[in-house]
Amino acid sequence: MIEVKQLSKAFTHGSGRKRQTVQAVADVNWRAEDGAITGLLGPNGAGKTTTLRMVAGLIAPDAGELLVDGISVRAQPMRALARLGVLSDARGLYPRLTARENIVYYGRLHGMTAAAASARADALAAVLDMQALLERRTEGFSQGERMKTALARALVHDPQNIILDEPTNGLDVLATRALREALRRLRDDSGKCVVFSTHIMQEVERLCDQVVVVAHGRTVAGGTVAELLASTGQRDFEEAFVQLAFDKEGA
Amino acid sequence: MHTAWMVFVKEMVDALRDRRTLMMVLISAVAVGPLMLAALSAVVSMMEERADAREVMAVGLDAAPTLSNFLVRQGYTVKTAPADYEKKLTDAKLGDPVLVVGPTFEAELVAGEMPRVTVVTATGNQRAQLGTRRLETLLTGFNQERGSLQLALRGVPVTLAQAVEVQSRDVASPQARAAQLTAMLPFFIIMAVIYGAMNAGLDVTAGERERGSLEPLLMNPAPRWALVLGKWGAVAMVGMAIAVLSSLSFLPGQWLMRSEELAALFQYGWREALAFLVLLLPLAGATAALLMAVAIRSKSFKEAQASATIALMAFTMTPLIGMLSPDGEQPWHVWVPGLAQYTLMGRVLRGEGVVPTDVAATVMAAVVVTAVSLVYVSRSLSRSAIK
Repeated sequence: MIEVKQLSKAFTHGSGRKRQTVQAVADVNWRAEDGAITGLLGPNGAGKTTTLRMVAGLIAPDAGELLVDGISVRAQPMRALARLGVLSDARGLYPRLTARENIVYYGRLHGMTAAAASARADALAAVLDMQALLERRTEGFSQGERMKTALARALVHDPQNIILDEPTNGLDVLATRALREALRRLRDDSGKCVVFSTHIMQEVERLCDQVVVVAHGRTVAGGTVAELLASTGQRDFEEAFVQLAFDKEGA
Repeated sequence: MHTAWMVFVKEMVDALRDRRTLMMVLISAVAVGPLMLAALSAVVSMMEERADAREVMAVGLDAAPTLSNFLVRQGYTVKTAPADYEKKLTDAKLGDPVLVVGPTFEAELVAGEMPRVTVVTATGNQRAQLGTRRLETLLTGFNQERGSLQLALRGVPVTLAQAVEVQSRDVASPQARAAQLTAMLPFFIIMAVIYGAMNAGLDVTAGERERGSLEPLLMNPAPRWALVLGKWGAVAMVGMAIAVLSSLSFLPGQWLMRSEELAALFQYGWREALAFLVLLLPLAGATAALLMAVAIRSKSFKEAQASATIALMAFTMTPLIGMLSPDGEQPWHVWVPGLAQYTLMGRVLRGEGVVPTDVAATVMAAVVVTAVSLVYVSRSLSRSAIK
């Protein structure tokens, strides 16, 4: 379970007279339950990636609280990270290492033995349908193959909580479907807490048990797809989203 | 520490798989010693040959039996210069200056009219330049002999014309004389070590950032310092391997020497190789850390290369302070990385003892550079990952 409470973060660019402050995240609140897929929906620049980076301990928030299974990310970052698997926006692999070596390296960094990490790589390859890729160097992998390897790498330590930042970016239909299927299995078979950010409506409609709508660095709405439709009085989810996310601008 | 070891192993595997880069780096490291020695010995043996040859190139010397006789008595062979000697001199095809004697030389000499001879050389022709001084000394000798004879004939003591007898004596040890020639070797080894680690150093920092693998890496529950330490270890390892290879490459390199004299003077055995290593290993570590510190803020490998080149240039230029310093070696020289290694390696080659406190100073300086750089890198990691 991941809890985000009253999170805020401002970035400062430049210095002196050119100094500019951008409030990337102003007041974000949400809670992702175990055994459920939570979608973080928002337009570009809404603060989704910044929020997820703060959950992963990469950026320190200005204010607010972040809890992973009740462990504070700020107070005990290493313990919190051990319970998180993150597929971030940047998903670079090491081109001179094979897919298996990429996955095992992360397992080792999580304190697993080489044998355990390698066995886990095999198990994940079966789930993600990528056995044929395991012994190949990742140089020259397609987008879909990269995503699978990066996802397996993020899941190598079998984390209870899984965060995916716009995972379907650059994927074709088949790869997207495969990913969706993998996420469902993670939720149903092992009761994981899955959070993923996206700006694509379809993804949310097809996959999410819970939706959190973020706009201008704030949580503007939350609930199931049906609840959000009901609250806005719309029949089309895209219309509902536009109303929720851009309403203040008078769109 | 376990994490640092994991990172080290992974980075080593990664670096070793970059075969092409690695081969280039290692070959240049191994080749630098023997190549330098071979080139040096070729130059020296050529100079020796020239000195042994004792030849004088001349035009019109047939008309000057007295001068010709003098040259032969000094042990020189007189050779007639080719007709187009001026062109050959400017084209550097002729390696000796040419002595031009007029047809009226002998008559003028007998009449006491001070005949004129010309030494023809070309400033751009280095080999001919070398011989010019010798030829001029020879001619001065001829003048002196003639003068002394004339004075003696007239009953005037020779000391009247020559008040002081000048003699020079060289007190340098044979090794010190050879070191004049081998002074450049440390410079080239230092270059090999510094530039050899560049690729690996940039790959683990700017390369990681450019690939987009730094952000996911930092999302592992691994302390920043352990990540940095592991990466540094791998880069330093590459630099140290180059230091070892280039230091050892001088051992067989000695066989390549054509000049026996140089081979006898260039004392480089296991002891010297060991001393080189003691000096070079800390330098390799410091360079690795410095490279990472320079590269970590760069957005791309290319950008990192540009800034690293500038940083390394400063590093490799420090030996110039030693070369150009008008006051010779200064105590503070051993505290400047690069310059310190250059200075102390020079002492090793000259056969002078190296004081342990000086070695300690170079190690200390390297450790400080390493520590400061690594702390900076681990502080910059997060900020670099997200931008």
